[in-house]
Amino acid sequence: MPSVIYHPAYRTYSFGNDHPFSPLRVDMMLDLLEALGQRVEMVEPEPASREEILGVHSEDYVRRVEELSAGVEVPDCQVFGLGTPDTPAFPGMDEAARWLVGGALHGARLICEHGAKRVLQLGGGLHHAQKSLASGFCIYNDLAIAINRLTSHGFSVAYVDIDVHHGDGVQQILYEDRRVMTISLHESGKFLFPGSGNIHELGSGIARGLKLNLPLQPFTEGESYLELFEQVLPVALSHFRPSVLVVQAGADAHFADPLADLMLTTQDFEVIFRRLLELADAFTAGRVLFTLGGGYSPDAVPRIWAILYLLVHDLPVPRELPEGWRSRWSTALATELPKTFHDPVPAYADVLNRQEIAHRNRQMVQRLFEATREYWS
Amino acid sequence: MLVRDIMRSPAVVITPDTTLQDAYRTMREKGIRHLPVVEGDVLVGVITDRDLRLATSALAPAPFPPGSQVSAAMSRTLQTADPLDPVEDAARIMRARKIGCLPILDEGRLIGIITGLDLLDALIRMTGVDKPSGRLEVRLPDHPGELARLTSFLSHRDLNVHSILTYPDSPDSVRTVLRVGSIEIRLIAQELRRAQFEVLWPPESPCPR
Repeated sequence: MPSVIYHPAYRTYSFGNDHPFSPLRVDMMLDLLEALGQRVEMVEPEPASREEILGVHSEDYVRRVEELSAGVEVPDCQVFGLGTPDTPAFPGMDEAARWLVGGALHGARLICEHGAKRVLQLGGGLHHAQKSLASGFCIYNDLAIAINRLTSHGFSVAYVDIDVHHGDGVQQILYEDRRVMTISLHESGKFLFPGSGNIHELGSGIARGLKLNLPLQPFTEGESYLELFEQVLPVALSHFRPSVLVVQAGADAHFADPLADLMLTTQDFEVIFRRLLELADAFTAGRVLFTLGGGYSPDAVPRIWAILYLLVHDLPVPRELPEGWRSRWSTALATELPKTFHDPVPAYADVLNRQEIAHRNRQMVQRLFEATREYWS
Repeated sequence: MLVRDIMRSPAVVITPDTTLQDAYRTMREKGIRHLPVVEGDVLVGVITDRDLRLATSALAPAPFPPGSQVSAAMSRTLQTADPLDPVEDAARIMRARKIGCLPILDEGRLIGIITGLDLLDALIRMTGVDKPSGRLEVRLPDHPGELARLTSFLSHRDLNVHSILTYPDSPDSVRTVLRVGSIEIRLIAQELRRAQFEVLWPPESPCPR
């Protein structure tokens, strides 16, 4: 049985009602699973301790998060990326962030100590947080902390980040760690925050060639995305031979996402999740830890993450959305939610320069392989 | 940004009686391509890896033997810069003279050196790409107050601008490239367009929502 990790305290990681990184997205997903008749059995984690946070973050930084969390004024907080429009300060933010880290850590512990295979952490994925910098809605880097737990147990970790934004924090924290391969698929930093994630960021020292980036053209569609995914992931994983996968399953590469411009449909996400599970079966004896991540379309995100939940449990994706759920949330969001689980076909008007986009993506992967060749021989 | 902020100081130097072979070895060991030649404190020339290769090439009409002195192959007509010169002035001199380095002199004394690579580092720093940020490019009419209109738009949204560059585009417009500390760069671009700004980057959606 897969393990599902969640705690109601995750809801306290909230920057306010107008902020896109809203706990409502997970509420909607859990309500959807319930409406589908799923009895979701949750494992409840503990919040991470201060010491566990300090495994990745600096004392200077953590102290400022704690002070802001307690309502103390911190004059230099913006130097640490805190109290900014993206990552505003809120009371209790330290503990809220430690809950999310605790969930990811608990997932790592289940894999290390209890031989768990499939673990789904229903929150977190705060991949932008750096050692001494909050960034892009992320305070503490739950992923890097969980990955360190796995590597200190002796696992080698392949981290796959399908969030539409580059997984810069995770990459940076683990840049010299040769026990960790990171692979981030994202909309090119030329167009999108945080700006990094170029193919030439390959890791440093003995880890050179183990940090991979696939910066995709804006308006990349599922067909091109999956073509590159298939070109790179199996080859990279056969080279690295990980013993566990950690997946940041952000849902913001969906075409309806307001913060980015990739064009994946829910059908594409289903294929990606299936392939990740197959890759885990093929390379890591089925061991995989999924976290959530970005995703800012209240229409698409609950459906995408519910699909992830269903696939992790080897359950089929139903055709229709439960009517009760649909009408309840249509009213709550004052918008008409779709009737079907998957997007309509076609889901959006044609992308005009589709061929050119696919062509440029192929060239990018060729350059990536040229750059990795000397490290992979 | 001034030359003194980016220069390498002190520079690795050699004397005019150094042999070409030793100059070559110094370049290899230090991983550098340009060597100022000094007599005491006084700069008397510069020798580059290109000078060495051309002087000793089998294709040269009279190739120098490896034991020749540097003074025979170095350039003596020197272009130098002051530590207080703005980096863009240094770039303009190097571009105009097609040279790869500038020795930096203070009161006639050699205190450092900059090369083309240092200028590339300066460009990278000036465009702010080392901080998590989103890139915006806006074309503005070349009138007083237009840049202020743009920056006050951003400051009303409490957005931190990590870097801002403005350069002439056409006779009556300028382009401004900004790196803004926000993940919501698409939404900001949309709001700017609604406020009648001509946003060149990020480009507009080719796929209407």
